[in-house]
Amino acid sequence: METFIATGLIGVSLGSQYALLALGFTLIFGILGVVNFAHGGFYVMGGYIAYYCSVVLGLPYALALVIASASTAAVGWLLENLILERVIDDHQATLMVTLGFNLIIATAVLVIFGAESPEFTFPIDGVWRSGGIYIPYANMVVLGVCLVAIALVYWLVYRSNVGRAMRAMAEDRAVASALGMRTKVLFPFAFALATGLCGMTGALVTPILALSPHVGDPVLAFSFLTVILGGLGSVTGATVAAFIVGLVDSYAAVYLGGSKGALTLFVLVLIILVILPQGLFGREVRRS
Amino acid sequence: MTSPSAARLPEERRQPLFSGVEWITLALVAMSFAIPLLVTNPQVLSQTNLILIGATAALGVFIMLRMDLMSFAVPCFMALGGYTVAILGIQLGITDVILLGIAAFLVPAICAIPLGALILRLKGVYFVLVTFVLTEIVQLLLFEGEPLTGGANGLVGMPAVTFFGVELFSNAQVVLTTCGLALVGFLVTAIFTRRFRYEFAAIEKNDVLAESLGLAGWKYKAIAFSVSAGVSGLAGFAIVNVLMTAHPSSFASMSSVNYITYTIVGGKGQILGPLVGAGLLVSATDYFALRGEFSPGLFGLLIIVVTLVAGGGLVGLATNLLRRRERKAGVAVKELSRVEARS
Repeated sequence: METFIATGLIGVSLGSQYALLALGFTLIFGILGVVNFAHGGFYVMGGYIAYYCSVVLGLPYALALVIASASTAAVGWLLENLILERVIDDHQATLMVTLGFNLIIATAVLVIFGAESPEFTFPIDGVWRSGGIYIPYANMVVLGVCLVAIALVYWLVYRSNVGRAMRAMAEDRAVASALGMRTKVLFPFAFALATGLCGMTGALVTPILALSPHVGDPVLAFSFLTVILGGLGSVTGATVAAFIVGLVDSYAAVYLGGSKGALTLFVLVLIILVILPQGLFGREVRRS
Repeated sequence: MTSPSAARLPEERRQPLFSGVEWITLALVAMSFAIPLLVTNPQVLSQTNLILIGATAALGVFIMLRMDLMSFAVPCFMALGGYTVAILGIQLGITDVILLGIAAFLVPAICAIPLGALILRLKGVYFVLVTFVLTEIVQLLLFEGEPLTGGANGLVGMPAVTFFGVELFSNAQVVLTTCGLALVGFLVTAIFTRRFRYEFAAIEKNDVLAESLGLAGWKYKAIAFSVSAGVSGLAGFAIVNVLMTAHPSSFASMSSVNYITYTIVGGKGQILGPLVGAGLLVSATDYFALRGEFSPGLFGLLIIVVTLVAGGGLVGLATNLLRRRERKAGVAVKELSRVEARS
């Protein structure tokens, strides 16, 4: 029973990380109509920037976290403004550009930091225990930060004017821009927000899990899974699905072992897609 | 029945078997047979193998793009084809290249039919994501299905294939086998996409409209998915034959990105595209490899530049340039004749 609860808590903590990744992914898709294949790349980038700032430069971890989020957001902003903007209406072209950019990030990381995974551990260690339940403090901090970030994203998307404008553009880009929403400002902003979230997740999670140039690929696959499950472009769907994926992932890892957990998830998602092509919370399949 | 005097519809006119570009593509693939006969440099031979396998796999993407569906499922069907051949070769001792080729085509093609029934209802980005997930699943199944697939070790010790009793064992003979498989793949694709080009064009432009006009869209999508799987299976056979091993890493889900890149960079509009894309990018990877760790980044940069500069890929860019020049020439001729008529 205690294992069961502890596993559940790990699952929730995993879920909150997936939620941040999936929120970014789903924002980019919902608002820009772009499938961001560079998502895993931004995660890795965030992790390495945080590592560089906190371990190599010796800055406090919290500051490193902020720098990592800000710089991945800046790179995302530049990518959208300089390159993606030119081909924004062609979904194959945007896919190719983000794929190419993913390779560039991976190479840059490899060239700058080398293939070895660096020594990067979470600054807070220790374990909280109650009865037979053990939870590392690091996981609790990550969970807390993730929950705050998720709440902020919700506030931004559903309560602020920028969010209203972004949702209007997701609904109908042509009409929204005819009504005065500024595509040229909002698209890069949305993209930067999403990549910033992704970089922040990388900075938070890589010290707990692992940091190496290739940790981005599974992240991409899990972001895919989560957004398919939740419904592409749906913010609520992505959040709920992320927690489902996190829980299934951790329970399967404990009770089934090996790669059976991932297999279960993938098959589950495939079945859901066949029954509900629009995902759990998607309203309609976006034509793109 | 139409009266003989009525203007005939374009498709009723007798069409040539293949278009010019298709003939060129097939001729290029057929010419690759000469490489193992003329060259002994192992570097060139292995390069030829890689290019032809890449191009054949990219055909799987090319066929699905006829209907504007971007498929990440190619490695999944390559694995089906490759493992089928490995099981037949290693466990049952079948080495006849023709039999193995038929099996490598048919097994994925048949498996694709029920799969297609499930996922071909999806379009656009959903299709992309689901085919990606499908490839991940197959990758995991290869690792988990130990008794059949050998798990993480793969199936080792694929015997040399035989062609009418002749063992194709040497380096050059292995390349010949790859050439043969590639030629079959290209022939099948050319005939198939040529035969149904109007149907595919209608589905690509607007599938809802096409269906409302009476075109059974699902039927063509299902056939195309199946043929695309079969051609991918041939590429899987070629890989297993070259490596003499069927291993999950040959069919990694991220390798689908390469095949898509070959097709898009080469040009998704013509069958020449996948061949040009594979030829160029495989050579580029090899060339970039001189720069060591920079190689994937340069590859990524190349993808971005081609996407921005040449939307229709390199073949699309070339045909556009040719057409523009022809049009200019045509205008000039018209001008000339008008001037002549006046004078």
